Amino acid sequence: MSTATTTPSGQPLGLSHRPSPGEAMFEALRAEDRPAFIGYLPYGFPTPEVSLDALRTMVGHGVDAVEIGLPYTDPVMDGPVIQAASQIALDHGERIAGVFRAVETVANAGGLPLIMSYWNLIYHYGVERFARDFENAGGAGLITPDLIPDEAGEWIEASDRHGLDRIFLVSPDSSDERLANAARNARGFIYAASRMGVTGERDTLSSSPEELVARTRRAGATNVCVGIGVSTPEQGATVGRYADGVIVGSALVHTMLDDTGRAARAADEGLAALAARTEALADGIRNARR
Amino acid sequence: MSVLDELVAGALEDQRIREQATPLDVVKQAAQAAPAPLDARRWLRHADTVPVIAEIKRASPSKGRLGDIPDPAALAREYERGGAAAISVLTEGRRFLGSLDDLDRVRAAVGVPVLRKDFITTDYQIWEARAHGADLVLLIVAALDDAALRRLLDLTHELGMTALVETHTAEEIERAVAAGAGVIGINARNLKDLRVDVGRYRELADALPDDVIRVAESGVFGAVELEDYARAGADAVLVGEGVATARDHELAVRRLVEAGTRVKASEARPLAEHDGPYFGRFGGRYVPEALIHALTELEEVYDEAKRDPEFRREFDRLNRLYVGRPSPLTEAPRFAARLNERVGVNARVFLKREDLNHTGAHKINNALGQALLVKRMGKTRVIAETGAGQHGVATATVCALLGLKCRVYMGQVDARRQALNVARMRLLGAEVVEVTLGSRILKDAINEALRDWVTNVETTHYLLGTVAGPHPFPTIVRDFQKVIGEEARQQLRDEYGIDHPDAVCACVGGGSNAIGVMNAFLDDPRVSLYGYEAGGHGPESGRHAARFAPGTGRIGLFQGAKSYLLEDDEGQTLDTYSISAGLDYASVGPEHAWLKEIGRVTYDWATDEEAMGAFKDLCETEGIIPAIESSHAVAGAYKAAADLKAKGCADPVMIVNISGRGDKDVATAGKWFGYLTDEQSRALEANGAHGDTVTE
Repeated sequence: MSTATTTPSGQPLGLSHRPSPGEAMFEALRAEDRPAFIGYLPYGFPTPEVSLDALRTMVGHGVDAVEIGLPYTDPVMDGPVIQAASQIALDHGERIAGVFRAVETVANAGGLPLIMSYWNLIYHYGVERFARDFENAGGAGLITPDLIPDEAGEWIEASDRHGLDRIFLVSPDSSDERLANAARNARGFIYAASRMGVTGERDTLSSSPEELVARTRRAGATNVCVGIGVSTPEQGATVGRYADGVIVGSALVHTMLDDTGRAARAADEGLAALAARTEALADGIRNARR
Repeated sequence: MSVLDELVAGALEDQRIREQATPLDVVKQAAQAAPAPLDARRWLRHADTVPVIAEIKRASPSKGRLGDIPDPAALAREYERGGAAAISVLTEGRRFLGSLDDLDRVRAAVGVPVLRKDFITTDYQIWEARAHGADLVLLIVAALDDAALRRLLDLTHELGMTALVETHTAEEIERAVAAGAGVIGINARNLKDLRVDVGRYRELADALPDDVIRVAESGVFGAVELEDYARAGADAVLVGEGVATARDHELAVRRLVEAGTRVKASEARPLAEHDGPYFGRFGGRYVPEALIHALTELEEVYDEAKRDPEFRREFDRLNRLYVGRPSPLTEAPRFAARLNERVGVNARVFLKREDLNHTGAHKINNALGQALLVKRMGKTRVIAETGAGQHGVATATVCALLGLKCRVYMGQVDARRQALNVARMRLLGAEVVEVTLGSRILKDAINEALRDWVTNVETTHYLLGTVAGPHPFPTIVRDFQKVIGEEARQQLRDEYGIDHPDAVCACVGGGSNAIGVMNAFLDDPRVSLYGYEAGGHGPESGRHAARFAPGTGRIGLFQGAKSYLLEDDEGQTLDTYSISAGLDYASVGPEHAWLKEIGRVTYDWATDEEAMGAFKDLCETEGIIPAIESSHAVAGAYKAAADLKAKGCADPVMIVNISGRGDKDVATAGKWFGYLTDEQSRALEANGAHGDTVTE
């Protein structure tokens, strides 16, 4: 019997030759001369159900691709806002198996579904099993904040077999050699961190991301998106002028937290605020090159 | 008719047709005129890597057409550039869509050995392979009787070629060896999940004489299977579809070669000199890309410092004159008497006195070494995490000594139960940050330190306190701590006239004192090594920090390394518990995970109760107050002695590492043993000195 991973004779499925979903999206956006707006939200925040509404809200108000975060107990790359949201999700019983519903939700709403996860969660779930379930749910690619290409042998193999994009990060102090390493192993796009540090909103962005995007392209990358610290429509517009995509995380997540920053607002208030913030950011990012 | 029978029959028929056009004599002449064959055996086994035979493959009977290969020479060159040790060319035309023309083109294109892969049953085919420039031929045991196998093998060798003899079963392997095969291909796939069946492979491969080269033959698509095969003892792998259908053939081969090199390096001996990044399957650098630059810089500066006699001299000088090394090796006869009585042995026990170091623990060894590296790197700011406070105090101390700015992250729970150490660090000029996120213990302090480091990496060094975390930390910390065991071995000889101990006991949190005391003995099989984790209320209670106990830890990635990890069924880190803050950690150094896997160190645990009992035993019998962490090693000594007795060693010489002194633990011990009045205890409770309660 033929399954997703075997041929009729019981041999393992070969390497998938599905075109990169991420590259297809950037190709289409290039024709419109606009950058992609990539929004981040942890799955399960504040609850699994509301998070699905939030994902639909984001896509409905102008996000092209959604980075669906998997909440983790030890998120070393995240600042206070995403840490708080992740903790709230975990406290409300977030389960990894549910994230594939979130992937379907984004796909059905017309967005490109990406997952962002710390590696232990995927490793624990089973890399091949994750790739299979993610592909079946209509997933596009995985962002791995604490998995460098050098350690990614199992993921490179699984993503090759299931036709999934591999999004590795680069940072301002990455050497040209490291940039080339990321470009060689990535598929879809490269995630360029705007600054050294963890996720979180900032009033100002330095000029380093523009330089980093240019260096990453010179190292062989086709699509380079900038994230970490991009929080306002103006910043989105600035970054969108030179980057292929603009990634916004904390600024969107923030809209659904209350004033203490440690608890979620009422769902309808949160969703309304999220819609407004998404729209404002989309306006800035979509018109970046006008 | 089986598929194999059909393929053999077809190949034979095609051969006869070719023979009519080109008689054997003509082929023989061509073979003799061909350039001499390469000795493929030299390509197929290598101490430092797992040679990859990459295959030119258009189709197979099981899968049908895989892809067009219009230019096999170009493909072979890509394989060669990727590091392939040999190129396999299918010359069977009916089902695999190959040809001798492919072989000619590949032969002309590459300098590495070329394998003719076909269904060979006649001498003609062997001569033909040689005439077309092959260095290797495939012989399939299942298609040949013993006489034919031997005849074809002999002819292959006579012509200076090598035969890759393909087998599927133990019986076929036996026949291949009997026929004189020197290179044997083994197929050991588990048909249920299609993964390499490592146990089965090992079983088959282990039966082979050492001089036979083992080639793993099927199902390799990437690093996963290559690593599985290599760890099961394969010398080389043959890869078809996994490279032939890859988008980037060169990169696909290179990835396999790199994976093989990594496996070989990860298992390098001797154990005492084994450096990271990998300790068997464990270790690595599972960190954000933003830290790679800093980790690489640290590795480079350390490698350079290691070779610099001036660095060594300065380190030794400060160890001697500032830390107070060597720390004594004290015989503990009254404690030994108690142990002997309880266990029924006649042991001599020696205590390695890291508690007598400046700052009262082994932590200073590593803190001093790394601080000297910080100076060398020209960084000005140091951050550190601490659990019990010992590493924080050691770091604050060396920063004061060397004029470095210091910030220590400490989980709030730990900071409360080690209030005196917090005060101590502040006295030493360090800034102490209480971490109120997560579980507020050691792991959360490490998370915050990592976040700080990612943000300030240009000026800041993260002075990690144990043999965990990303490479190169496990190696560097091990190197700075191994003085413990080296001294102990020497002291045992010089002071007590004993050549070697029978056992060494240490407690294991992250594992730096244990690695430190064990390193010198790792390659001496006469020495049994025992590591004791924090058993808390017992592994079955769920309130413990025992990663190696049955049913507790699983392999995972945590804070930069692959190792054993306490996690829930979702892969989320579990809260840990121990009466000793210094052992209260969800993961363990990757070298320990490896030493467990290869069976070199026996890991066990001591519960709170056992540790506190041992704490008291040592106080009463020797006048030494050990840290509660070290008390787990003391409690372990009883267990180790029982184990040695069971193994027939009734008069063992045992070294127990007293990694730190227990002054910091007196409030906890006073409460435990009821030496404090209720009022006193409540007063200490109010500021959390017992660590049981934390107020927001």
